[in-house]
Amino acid sequence: MTTLGQLVLSGIFIGAIYALMSIGLTLIFGVLRIVNFAHGEFLMLGMYGAWAMTRLLGLNPYLAMIAVVPAMFLFGGLVYRLIVSPALDKPHLVVVFATMGLSIFMQNAALMLMSADLFDIPPVFGHAVTIGPLYFKAELVVGFVITVICTLVLQWALKSTYLGKAIRATVQDREAAMLMGIPVPRIFLITFAGGSALVGLAACVMMPLFSVFPTVGLNFVLIAFVIVVLGGMGSISGALIGGICVGIVQSLSSYYVAPAFGQMFFFILFLLVMIFRPNGLLGQKGAADIGIAD
Amino acid sequence: MHYWLKLLVGVLAATMFAAAGFAQTPIRIGVLLPLTGPFAKNGIENWEAMKIARDMINERGGINGRKIEYLEGDATSPAAAISETERLITKEGIKITTGSFASPLAIAVSQAAERHGVFHWETTGAAEIITRRGFKHTFQVGAPARKYGQAAVDFIIDDLAKRLNKPVSSLRIALLWENRAFGKSVGDGIRAYTGKKGIKLVYDEGYDQFSTDMTPIVQKLKDSKPDIVIAISFPNDAILFQRKAKELNFNVSAFIGVSAGYSSPDLRASIGNMVNGIFVADFPPKVNPNVLKPEVRKIADEFYKRYEKKMGRPPAGHATAGFSAIWALFTDVLPKAKTFEPDELRDIALKLDLPEGSLVNGSGIKFTNFDWPDNPKDAGQNLRASIGVWQWTKGGNEEVFPPKLATHEPIMVPLPSWDKR
Amino acid sequence: MAQSPGRISLAPARGTLSVFEIALLVLCLVLVVAPIPQNLQDIIVLTFLWAGLATAWNIAGGYTGLISFGHAAFFGIGAYTSTILLVRMNVTPWVGIWCGGLLAAFCGAILAVICVRLRGPFFILSTLAAAEVIRIAALNWSSLTGGPEGLAISPAADPVNMVFASKHAYLALMLGYLLLSYALTKLIDGSRYGYYLFAARDDEDAASAAGVNPLAVRTVALMLSAALTGIGGSLFAQYFLYLDPTFVISPEVSFQFALLPAVGGLGTAIGPVLGSFLITPMSELLRSYLGSKVAGLHLAIYSALLIVVVLYFPSGIAGALSGLSRRKGGKS
Repeated sequence: MTTLGQLVLSGIFIGAIYALMSIGLTLIFGVLRIVNFAHGEFLMLGMYGAWAMTRLLGLNPYLAMIAVVPAMFLFGGLVYRLIVSPALDKPHLVVVFATMGLSIFMQNAALMLMSADLFDIPPVFGHAVTIGPLYFKAELVVGFVITVICTLVLQWALKSTYLGKAIRATVQDREAAMLMGIPVPRIFLITFAGGSALVGLAACVMMPLFSVFPTVGLNFVLIAFVIVVLGGMGSISGALIGGICVGIVQSLSSYYVAPAFGQMFFFILFLLVMIFRPNGLLGQKGAADIGIAD
Repeated sequence: MHYWLKLLVGVLAATMFAAAGFAQTPIRIGVLLPLTGPFAKNGIENWEAMKIARDMINERGGINGRKIEYLEGDATSPAAAISETERLITKEGIKITTGSFASPLAIAVSQAAERHGVFHWETTGAAEIITRRGFKHTFQVGAPARKYGQAAVDFIIDDLAKRLNKPVSSLRIALLWENRAFGKSVGDGIRAYTGKKGIKLVYDEGYDQFSTDMTPIVQKLKDSKPDIVIAISFPNDAILFQRKAKELNFNVSAFIGVSAGYSSPDLRASIGNMVNGIFVADFPPKVNPNVLKPEVRKIADEFYKRYEKKMGRPPAGHATAGFSAIWALFTDVLPKAKTFEPDELRDIALKLDLPEGSLVNGSGIKFTNFDWPDNPKDAGQNLRASIGVWQWTKGGNEEVFPPKLATHEPIMVPLPSWDKR
Repeated sequence: MAQSPGRISLAPARGTLSVFEIALLVLCLVLVVAPIPQNLQDIIVLTFLWAGLATAWNIAGGYTGLISFGHAAFFGIGAYTSTILLVRMNVTPWVGIWCGGLLAAFCGAILAVICVRLRGPFFILSTLAAAEVIRIAALNWSSLTGGPEGLAISPAADPVNMVFASKHAYLALMLGYLLLSYALTKLIDGSRYGYYLFAARDDEDAASAAGVNPLAVRTVALMLSAALTGIGGSLFAQYFLYLDPTFVISPEVSFQFALLPAVGGLGTAIGPVLGSFLITPMSELLRSYLGSKVAGLHLAIYSALLIVVVLYFPSGIAGALSGLSRRKGGKS
């Protein structure tokens, strides 16, 4: 029982962090209908940023957000201008390969600048949080709380602010939104930059938990893809649920089957969802019908 | 005018040829290492160690007056390793290759080298299959995988059991291995060896080194209540594992890590004093200098100094092993060669009979030649590659086993629980 | 650009052979027999092999709109089938490669059942996930696949084992494979089935209204593409002689299959070939000249070039070529 509790709760906590790193991706997909294959490298860049703020400036990694999040916003805007925007009116594969090229480029630029060494920051909190016989790293719990807050704030912002409404209108019907006077290209820019800023936020939460190195993105990017599709591309609460599902599936299957198969089970879960609920767990109806011709 | 120009060019060319004739042509060696991609960290460290060896031998006047020249290839994946090896052999005419840090790369490079009948001097690749394909020109100077496991298990039987005051038969031993070529190979070796010694493993599982959540692994280990854990890991997963072990308050009497992940010098930079007390079965990064021949000791000191100056930290076991192996090639194989043809180099290598302590990391050299009792296809495995056990201590690291190589007594046995570390 | 039947056109066109293609074929045949330095032959072998694989991918990705990022699974299935048959049962690869192709086609059918209904990014990510499942299975099923230690084929030259000492033999083998893939593509191009494919790709509803079953048409295309990719995988195994699940069934390999047609020209027969003829030598040469200078530099340059090429030549080299010939045609 203790074991099961530990596995499920740990799965939920780590799953929430997976979700946090996927929210940016899901937002970008929902609005622009593109998959950013350099997502993992955005995370890597954010983690190097968080590392630098912590190790070089002595900032608390959570305070580092103040610098990393806006920096990633600017970086996202730059990438949008240089690579994504020129690709949007071209065949779907163009943006796939442009972002994939960016992913290889960023990995190797990081290798040249930072070497292949692993970088870490010291733990933020000295002790684990204990609930009866269960133990949880405080950084993990903080990450969970930040994810929940972030999800709620984003949900509210999308529902209630003008920008949020404009974004939702763009998701629902691009042409109609344009006709209503919503500056769609500008919405795209803001969404892409905002999605990147969210990756920066996730990077600051993850830096106390994971090491950073040039190929760190590869460890996480497939998880992010699975979560985004599971939750229904474009759905923020869906990403949270998808993330938690992946966390629990990974945790339980690694324990009860074998750790070597942990990843296999969430890929199978993913395929099952694709067969039976192709729009994702919480996705809008018809999302999966978005063709490449769009 | 035209005529004079031609003459000038002719004279220049003639002088250059003459100069080239006087200076001996260098000995060219192909170095295949992963310089990009997931293995890049260790590949680059190995590459630095190899370059130090080249500089040291060239400053000493080279080999019989001939300098060493490296031609390097980025063996980032097995396919790239094969292409790069082929390129060095067919384009540059390389007859000697070396490298290649990781086992899958070593398997690939030696495959391409053997196909062209080229002499391959493998420095660190450990998987048993490297020398078990009936190849004639592949020599694995570093230890084969089973030796890593044997060192760990022997250490438990000969030393730890006594310190823990428990008979070996009642010790609960757990085995965790990353499921790539190296981890699986070592894990298989440990399973076979403990079986032979009548030790039962209470836990025995492989895991993916890209795992991002260690909770289920640590929890399952915790539930199996082991006294001793043997873990084969790469750097990133070793760090995640130790942090998770601390988080879940998973305590053992002794923790033995094997090679790459646990011997990496930046493990301390990553997890701080949590490393203290962890044992590591690996190539010794530094051995008791008394076991080394005096002239080898001098070389070792120079290597450590140069490496620390260049990289800002002491070398990891695999980097020292890379240096040791290539230095042996420079001092014990190449000077005896006349034609530098692979068949001649093979004969020289097979005749080598260097006692332990001849190489910088304490190893000796004696290769198998299709006479290995377990596997008649095995040739080129080094029977005298030493794998010892060392320990992370407050000040650095100390060799603790076997007693012959030891610089220190094992400390922190049993390992204090996390709240006391 | 309409072709009058019986006339050979200059630029590649659907359903007919052009002067350009015949010239390219002659060039390839010359490359097979010419006494070229071995290291360049190595690059040409890879170029042919990748061109064949990219052509195979293009049947699904370009002709049918099934942008698969999981073809490495078929590649791996083909490679492992023939190699396991050879190493464990001593079956000659001359038989084994067809077995690998059949098994890959079968798996293609299964994949089709799972995701042929999905579109766009959903299809892409599902195929990626399916390939990962196969990779993890191959990695852990050691008794069959050799697991992480991989499978090695003896390098001793033996034509029965499809292992050759001469690069000319491999060049011929790979060119044969490329021609097989290409011929099938051309056949589809000019056939009724080809028109069904295009119809189902470009407007599914209209196609169904016209009596085409889009799912069936796509399933057949995916199976054909998988079979050819499997055969390519077997040939890869026979050339490299070593298989390791982590690297053979990797997402990177899948990306490469898709990248070459994207650069060369998606949905055209010649596109994947041109893509491979440009990209494969470029990446090999960049790595061999810059690979060791500064770690990572060659891949950084490669990827930067890639971004520029896909952004500014979205319809690929084939598109650029036909644009060029159209402009010329207009002038004359």
